[in-house]
Amino acid sequence: MSGTLIVNAARGVASTQRSRARQRWLPYLLSLPALLVCIGILIPFFTAVWYSLERYNLSFPDQRAFIWFGNYLNLFTDPAFWNTVRISLAYTGLTVGVQLLFGLAIALLLQRRHWINDLMSVLLILPLMVAPAIASLMWKLMTNPNFGVLSYLVGRLGFPDFGWSSNPNSALFTVVLVDTWVYTPFITILLLAGLRALPRQPFEAAELDGVPASFVFFRITLPMLMPYILTASLFRMLDSIQQFDIIYSMTQGGPGDTLTVFQVQAYLEAFSFSNIGRSAALVMILWAITYALSTVFIKQWLKLRANARGQG
Amino acid sequence: MNKALLFKLLRALALIAVALFFLFPILWVFMMSFMTNVDILRSPPSPIFTPTLDNYRGLLTGQLATGTGTLTTDYTTNLFNSFVLSASAVILSLLLGVPAAYAFARFKFRLGEDMAFTLLSFRFAPPILVLLPLQLYFQEIGLYDTYVGLVWVYQLITLPLILWIVRGYFEDISPDIEHAYRLDGHSWLKTFLKIAIPLARPGIAAAGLLAFIFAWNNFVFALILGSSAVQPVTVGALAFVTASGIQYGVIAAALVLSVVPTLTLALYAQRYLVEGLSLGAVKG
Amino acid sequence: MSMKQKDLAKAYLANQIGRREFLARTASLGVSAGAAGVLLNAVATEALAAGSVDFQKHKGKAIKLLLNKHPYVDAMIKNIENFKAMTGLAVTYDIFPEDVYFDKVTAALAAKSTQYDAFMTGAYQTWKYGPARQIVDLNQFIKDPKLTADEYDWNGIFPSLRESTAWDGKAGSKLGGPGAKQWAVPWGFELNSVTYNRKVFDDLKITPPENLPDLIEKAKKINGSGKGMYGVGVRGSRSWATIHPGFLSAYANYGEKDFDVQEGKLKPAMNSAGSKAFHKMWVDMIKQAGPKNWSNYTWYEVGTDLGAGKSGMIFDADILGYFMNGAGNKEAGNLGFQAFAPNPKAQNATPNVWIWSLAMSEFSKNKEAAWFFIQWATGTPNTTFGATQADLVNPVRKVVWDNPDFQARLEKSYPGYLKQFQASIMNSRIYFTPQQLFPDFTTEWAAMLQQMHAGQVPVDEGLDKLAEGLERKLRAVGL
Repeated sequence: MSGTLIVNAARGVASTQRSRARQRWLPYLLSLPALLVCIGILIPFFTAVWYSLERYNLSFPDQRAFIWFGNYLNLFTDPAFWNTVRISLAYTGLTVGVQLLFGLAIALLLQRRHWINDLMSVLLILPLMVAPAIASLMWKLMTNPNFGVLSYLVGRLGFPDFGWSSNPNSALFTVVLVDTWVYTPFITILLLAGLRALPRQPFEAAELDGVPASFVFFRITLPMLMPYILTASLFRMLDSIQQFDIIYSMTQGGPGDTLTVFQVQAYLEAFSFSNIGRSAALVMILWAITYALSTVFIKQWLKLRANARGQG
Repeated sequence: MNKALLFKLLRALALIAVALFFLFPILWVFMMSFMTNVDILRSPPSPIFTPTLDNYRGLLTGQLATGTGTLTTDYTTNLFNSFVLSASAVILSLLLGVPAAYAFARFKFRLGEDMAFTLLSFRFAPPILVLLPLQLYFQEIGLYDTYVGLVWVYQLITLPLILWIVRGYFEDISPDIEHAYRLDGHSWLKTFLKIAIPLARPGIAAAGLLAFIFAWNNFVFALILGSSAVQPVTVGALAFVTASGIQYGVIAAALVLSVVPTLTLALYAQRYLVEGLSLGAVKG
Repeated sequence: MSMKQKDLAKAYLANQIGRREFLARTASLGVSAGAAGVLLNAVATEALAAGSVDFQKHKGKAIKLLLNKHPYVDAMIKNIENFKAMTGLAVTYDIFPEDVYFDKVTAALAAKSTQYDAFMTGAYQTWKYGPARQIVDLNQFIKDPKLTADEYDWNGIFPSLRESTAWDGKAGSKLGGPGAKQWAVPWGFELNSVTYNRKVFDDLKITPPENLPDLIEKAKKINGSGKGMYGVGVRGSRSWATIHPGFLSAYANYGEKDFDVQEGKLKPAMNSAGSKAFHKMWVDMIKQAGPKNWSNYTWYEVGTDLGAGKSGMIFDADILGYFMNGAGNKEAGNLGFQAFAPNPKAQNATPNVWIWSLAMSEFSKNKEAAWFFIQWATGTPNTTFGATQADLVNPVRKVVWDNPDFQARLEKSYPGYLKQFQASIMNSRIYFTPQQLFPDFTTEWAAMLQQMHAGQVPVDEGLDKLAEGLERKLRAVGL
């Protein structure tokens, strides 16, 4: 008997040792494949970085030269660049903010299990399934003063025709509207799944204690949902600051210079003006801004997770 | 009693308003897919029209009759391409991303956060940045105009998304059950497959569906990195914007056809998306 | 096809029998009218092949084309079997929608892709691709009697079109001047004129406009006529495509220039007094009688409105009016065509042109085979076939315009189109000064037009700013 005990103990020790060793290399084994598959992109990435340090315009092949930060200086002293920064940040702030509020509200509306809610939560994904460039095309038709059903309805409701995306004053509003129509479902799905993953116990306890609904929402639901909100906002932020399809399809960056966001301008620089160097520099700046903003998000997310674990 | 009724009414109204905003354009596009161009371009617009199946017929048979003759279309090929590319990309991302998400959530290991952030950072690279160099390199290594090449590039879109969403899920699930299962003598692999994954199903379903949608709607990678043979529906639908006029009806029909596969997937995944409530019972 | 059919075709081509006789006799042999067209084409192609050039030289090889989804391509595909038979080449093509087509071309050329041998392009794009050393100077092929048949008749293509697609790469040089490289061969082109809705004009008892002030008056009349239409459609999107059609044609007609050449350097000239006056007139025209959301307007919107009866007329590509007069449009059959000289003091119209052309990739591995294709596609048999049996309009060769079948087709379905063409062609060419920054400067010009239209910046100030900005850009690249 003591022999079996010793053997078992030995087995236990050996297995703990094994599992400790496994604990060391297992996470790497699980996560490295993902990393390795994506690592290939670093080569084109660094090539692009190189381009951004060159005066590189396809139409002037003899002028190609290494100019260190010439492109960047050029951009920083160009008022058009600062316009791009301003518009891109405004667009991102507006879209993420509006869609977050909207998406959260809809998720709360649909969270109870009911066949209507369930049906709606699937139907509401439909706008997301439409390719943004085509959604833009459709909205352009809908807001066309001659044949557009929306223009028609707006007119019937007595509002003056305000030009939607052709008017510099309403262009930003129009593209934010289209973006909201396409992407709010993204946030809704994530938050809905998040709401459904929350533990029942705190809510049941609150109900028993007769706690008012607003308290439940702000003190219980929202904090628990925060990591999901952060994830959803992060991805939306990444998409919005890089937005191309919707804006380019609608107005190609116009009217005037009202919507020349980063990727629209970078696309024009590379594909229209053949200025590869300047385009690369512009996108590198975008990349840097995205990196900085994401770091803020992730740090916050990790902090929340650590707190949750501390309490859990 | 009145307050409850009022809330119910408000809820219903809110739901209707939301449905109207998001679904009206979809309904209108659906209607457009049965209209001829002349009907669509009527001023003022009118919901009364003579329906026609020509748009769908043209798309599915590949022969479209237009004012200036017959246009041959490849839309069925585009649908096939979209499906192959998106499904493969998502499956690959799930295979790579779910284990990685588990690793980041469960194990605190050195470089863990750095690796996770690096994987996320691939999403920061705007396509414009890497497009031209990518084409150069793809041509050199023979991946230009191949499904493999495109599925690989699509990982930039799908993998970070799946990784971070599923990670959030794993983080939320208490490790207690897993520990209990392990103590019963099961291997970590069995624990992972039999406990962790089923518990995280809503998250995996949500992430998979969203990744599929984003891959499906992407067009710039396939456009630049492939020939006509691999173009997805996003590029294919633009073929109806022609010099002799925009075929709005056909584009609407193309849109409806392109939404059908993703909608089917969403309906299937919906089962998993709503599972969440049973989860709560397990948590402490 | 039988010998008898072939003989008939040869006889017709040699003008030994008339058209009616040809059609009657082929019909009696059981050949339909459409097939008769193909028959003619095949025989003409054979004649081409029977000349001094060995078209079978690259038999068995393959060439790949990068093409835009366009009626010209549809016309070419209908006829491609003749080319394959003549040369023994296998031809494959990648067709991309027009919206993304040029992105594909730019990317393929930038990556030095060997995938494509020849591709469609406009003249303006060759001002980038040429200096970038991405396309081939085709003079070496055109002038080589071993590679170009006598029947090809290079000079049979309108001289203004041949010149407009040739440039020596030096800023300020005239297009088609001495030392110019032939970057592309014209395939089909568009000139700018007025297409108007005859029914509306008849209803309101107005005649087609004679010049720009007249057009503006009549457009305002249409606007106020209570028909729910607006007067004149012109493009307004933030793109080069807004500057080059009606706008530049009128600009040139008023004697204005985009650049002056001073001591070998380009100086922007759009802030001259005359130009400022012109811009004011143009912007006012749009505000008073143009489309409401003008800054969204591309080729498609301008055409759609005309075809659906929302605009009284357009000042844009003649071919756009041509397409809108076809089946599937509400106003099909109601459109009339008018050559247009906007300047009251000008004698003739000076339409700017858009020339769809075929260019050869520098990275092609089958350059001679690609040349055979370009030669055939732009040769008389194919362009005749395209014009008479499909929509390869406007043809680039005078002989096709003189073809009685083509003229009959035009008179039947597009009355007035031929007349409009004949009155416009003599001064139709590209009026831009060639330089590599063409996309930059036209995009900024369009953006500035939008700002002027929206009242964000006064016309004078806007043009001064534009000229200044462009001058800086030019100096930065040494032009």
